[in-house]
Amino acid sequence: MHIFKLIMILVLTALLASCATQRAPVLNFKPDAVIETLSAGISMSMQTAEHGMAGNGYLVYRRPDQVHMILLSPFGTTLFQAYILGSKITLVYPAQGVAYAGQIDQLPDTAGTQGWRLMRWVMDADPVKTTVADGTFERASPAVGRETITVQNGLITEKSAPGGNQVYYGDYAVVGGVPLAALIEMRNSKDERIRLKIQEPEVNLPLDNAVMTPRLEGLRILPLSELEQK
Amino acid sequence: MRKLSITFLILGICLAFPLASHARPVAALEALEILRKGFAETDDFTAEITQEKQLSIMKRVMKTQGIVRFKKPDLFMMEIKPPYASRLLLRDNIIEQSAGDGKGPKNRIILPPEQSLKQWFDKLAAPVTKLPEGVSLKADKTASVYTLQITPIKRGQVRDLLISFHNDGTIRRIVINEQNGDRSTLSFRKFKRNTGLTERDMLL
Repeated sequence: MHIFKLIMILVLTALLASCATQRAPVLNFKPDAVIETLSAGISMSMQTAEHGMAGNGYLVYRRPDQVHMILLSPFGTTLFQAYILGSKITLVYPAQGVAYAGQIDQLPDTAGTQGWRLMRWVMDADPVKTTVADGTFERASPAVGRETITVQNGLITEKSAPGGNQVYYGDYAVVGGVPLAALIEMRNSKDERIRLKIQEPEVNLPLDNAVMTPRLEGLRILPLSELEQK
Repeated sequence: MRKLSITFLILGICLAFPLASHARPVAALEALEILRKGFAETDDFTAEITQEKQLSIMKRVMKTQGIVRFKKPDLFMMEIKPPYASRLLLRDNIIEQSAGDGKGPKNRIILPPEQSLKQWFDKLAAPVTKLPEGVSLKADKTASVYTLQITPIKRGQVRDLLISFHNDGTIRRIVINEQNGDRSTLSFRKFKRNTGLTERDMLL
């Protein structure tokens, strides 16, 4: 009986350990393969101290710093859109008929908006060109200055930046010859979390410029500082 | 040979036309009342849904499938299957929503009391005698299917809403056209009403 219990404990421990330390798979990809463009469906959930949010939508990315994210309501109407073009950001709320526009560093310190500042850093997860396949390293980052990265099988599984921001990458698969993390989770020092699950990705296909251009006809354009009152 | 082909072509056209169904305009009030009556006689329903979202700026269409359940007086549930799995429960004026396997964080939105589900369905208890204000309505009928077009007079996010339904008020399709050119289509299949749903069928 004791042996049975011991075996059960060992099995459970092994299962829990494997959940906690799920390794990046060994993938066959070109060492210099990077994501130039990405177009994908997404499932997103966000949890802050004040509120939670979950929904489906689209993500379009063009290297190095262009993002268009669309979140849909349960009935498919557009709930929210975010455009990032270099240092500029536009957040569109069609139901309220308003858009907030400005520089990323003008984003107020309200919950839920800070994640946008980190978007460029989060999207920068190219395979690491190093002779060491596994390990934790510190390196320069164009987005946040310096960052600490954890690498497994040449793929980034974790990054942390000054200020307590962390991002985890998982569910890697090769799409169009490029390794892509289909699961991205961001956490900050307040334990606020954004979880992004990427679905049906299309990698390195040409993107029309219109996809990255905010459509603001009929909307009231407000400065980002107004988001604090929202 | 050529004459024979032309004869067949004309014959084909003549045969085809009487079979084709034409949409004929009907009074919007009549269509609205059929839709209302269908809901008034429904205690609960389940249906399979297919949702298609077409963005005006992108070629790709996001297609999701799932089920909806409704139970009077105030419960509505929508469950979307993977890969875009999500669940939504509307209990009167409280929306609860979760993504993925449902183990993650839940989103909770409280609607103003005047937007509660029970309020809406209380309104549906009485026959429609006049058209609602703030919207323009047009309706037509093709065979046994009505299509009601609802257009908000004031410019907002939604340009118009099209609801297609049968004579008994069973909804076939809802199309939401947005001002930015995006379109969302909800198609209903296997619509079953008054199946005796309980609260346990409506858990998030």
